Amino acid sequence: MNWFIRGLKKGIQTEREPRGTPQWGSALKVNKEFKDCPTGATQGGWDAGKCVFCRRCFPDLSPTGDHRMGKVSRTEAKFSRSFYLYPIDVGTCGGCNAELKLIASPQYDMTRFGIFFTNTPRHADGVVVMGVITEGMREVLRETLEAVPSPKVVVLMGACAISGGIIGEKVDVDADAVVPGCPPSPNTILDVLIKVKGGKGW
Amino acid sequence: MRFIGKLGNVCIYDDSQNEECPDFEFHAGSSGGYGEFTFVYGPSAGGLLESVQFKIRTSGEQILEIHADPYFKVRHISLSGGIDDVALKVERINAMFSASHSIAFLLSVERSLDEEPDYETQMGRIVELELERVRNHLYVLHKLVDTGALGVASYQLQAMQEATNRVIGEACGHRYFFGVNSLNHVECNFEKVDLRYLKRFNSFLNDLLENRILIDRFQNNGKIDQDWLIGPTARASGRKYDARYDSGSLPYKDLGFSPVIERSPDVFGRFLVRGEEIMQSVDIIQEAMKKWKRKERKEVKVKGTGEGMSRLESPSGDMVYRVMIDGSKVKASFLPPSKANLLFFLKSVIGTIFTDFPFNWESFGIWISEIGVDTG
Ligand code: SF4
Ligand code: SF4
Repeated sequence: MNWFIRGLKKGIQTEREPRGTPQWGSALKVNKEFKDCPTGATQGGWDAGKCVFCRRCFPDLSPTGDHRMGKVSRTEAKFSRSFYLYPIDVGTCGGCNAELKLIASPQYDMTRFGIFFTNTPRHADGVVVMGVITEGMREVLRETLEAVPSPKVVVLMGACAISGGIIGEKVDVDADAVVPGCPPSPNTILDVLIKVKGGKGW
Repeated sequence: MRFIGKLGNVCIYDDSQNEECPDFEFHAGSSGGYGEFTFVYGPSAGGLLESVQFKIRTSGEQILEIHADPYFKVRHISLSGGIDDVALKVERINAMFSASHSIAFLLSVERSLDEEPDYETQMGRIVELELERVRNHLYVLHKLVDTGALGVASYQLQAMQEATNRVIGEACGHRYFFGVNSLNHVECNFEKVDLRYLKRFNSFLNDLLENRILIDRFQNNGKIDQDWLIGPTARASGRKYDARYDSGSLPYKDLGFSPVIERSPDVFGRFLVRGEEIMQSVDIIQEAMKKWKRKERKEVKVKGTGEGMSRLESPSGDMVYRVMIDGSKVKASFLPPSKANLLFFLKSVIGTIFTDFPFNWESFGIWISEIGVDTG
C-alpha cells in the first residue's frame, strides 16, 4: 500500500490533551513523614528534582498522576514561534534520551507547538542537558554551551542532571528550567518546553 | 560450545567459563596508504542519540579503519551493597534494557541463595522481557526507517513505540520497569496489557519490505558472518543463538519457543529478524500471561555466602550477570550485549561507505550507556 494512503488511513493520532502519564512519573504527595529516601528527596516536603521515583516511600508518599512537575525560571518569548533544541547526553542511562525523542512521536507532535530538534548547537535556541556529569563530557558540554548563540535557554532534564539522582554528580550550570523525572515522561518534558517559550504549558 | 563474551578476566561460553580471556579493542581495519585522511564523528553529534566518538580513516568513500571510544560518558556505578540498593542502580545501567539487567541480576542472586522463583513470577518476568523486546525492536526499526527518510512509516513505528511504553507504564507504573523487580516478585498488573495496536504489524512489515530504496540501503550493508555473534546479529546470519533457547534461565520452552532465524548476515537480515521477533514476542506475551498470576510481595531472607551467574536474552543478545553474596551484601558484575555488538559493528563497517554507516549503526541496537560503566 502506498505510504501516503496508509498514513491517511491511520487518521489523526495526535492528542489534544496529555495522556498516558505513568503513576511513577508524576508528582508525589506527602501523606506522612518518610525518612529513608535514598536521595534525600523527602527532607522537608518532597523535592521533585531529587526524586528517582523508586517507590520506597509508598504509601507515605503517593503518586498524584499530575505530570506538571517542572520549574521554569526564565521564559524567552523570542522563541514563541520556533524553538530549536540541541540535546546533549553527558552521562545518561539512555532513558532520558529515549523519552525526549518521543515528544516527536505522533501522539505528542512537538512541531505543532513550534518545537524542533537540530543537529548542531550553532543552530540551536536551547540545550537540553541529560545525565550525570562525567569527566569526558565536561569539556564537550562547555564547548556546546559556548557554541549556542545568545539568547539561549538551558534546560536540565532528569534527576541525574538536576541533582545527581542515585548515580553520580549533578550538572553544575545555570539552568533556565528543570524537568524532573527518572526519566521524565514526554508530557512533563512538553509542559516545560512550552512554558519556556512563553506558552501556558501542557 | 558458543562464545558469549568477556566478563572481568573470564571468557564466558554458553556452557562453561574460562579464565584468561584476551582483551578486545574497539578498533577494526588497517590503513596507511597515500591520500588517506581521518575524520572524527561525535562524541556529541545530531545523528547520535548517545555520546560516543568514532575516528574514521578513509581515502574518500570507503571506510578503511575505525576506532570507537564509548567511554566519554563513563559512569562510575558501584554495584556492591544491600540487594535493594544495588537493584536501584542496576535498573539504571541501560533504561532500554532495564528489565533484562534487573532480571539477570535477580536471577543470579536467587541462584547464589539456592532460591527458585515461583513459576508465576518467572512467567511475569518473561512478559516483561518480551514487552521490552517489542519496544526496543520498534525503536530500532524506527531509527532504520527514519535514516532512510521514509517519514510516514518512521512516525508510525514511533507511535507504536510510544504505545508500548504506555502499555508498560499502565501495567507496571513505570515506562522502563524501574522499581518493578525484586527477589521472587514482579510488581506489575499484566491484566492491563492490550497489544491490539500491533495486530496489523505483519502487513505493515510486508509493505516496508516492498520499498526498494530501503532494501537497497539494507542489503549487503554491514555484513558479518562469523561464529562469535550474539542476539539478532547471530540469528540474521542463520545461527540459532538465543539465550531464551539455550540458557534455561527462564521457562521459555514451556511456551513452545524456537528462535527466528534468517540467512542474510547484513542490515537487511537484522531488520527482518527484529520485525519477525516483534510478532513472535506478542504471541509469547499472550501465552505467558495465561500462566502468570498476580502475587503479593513476600520478604526473601538474604543470608549466608554464595556465588551465582545467570544469562538471559536481552533485545540485542546475551546479557550475563555474576554476583557474590556475603551476609546481606552483594557484589555484582555484568557483561552487556552492546560490548560484543560494538565490536561486530566495527568489523562490519570496514569496506562500506559513510552513507551506509548510520543504517549499519542502527541495525545493531547498541546502547553506549551499558558499555560506559565502571563498577569499580
Ligand atoms: S520515590 Fe524514592 S526517591 Fe522519590 S521520594 Fe520516594 S523514596 Fe525518595
Ligand atoms: S534521570 Fe533516570 S532516566 Fe534519566 S539518565 Fe538518570 S537514571 Fe536515566
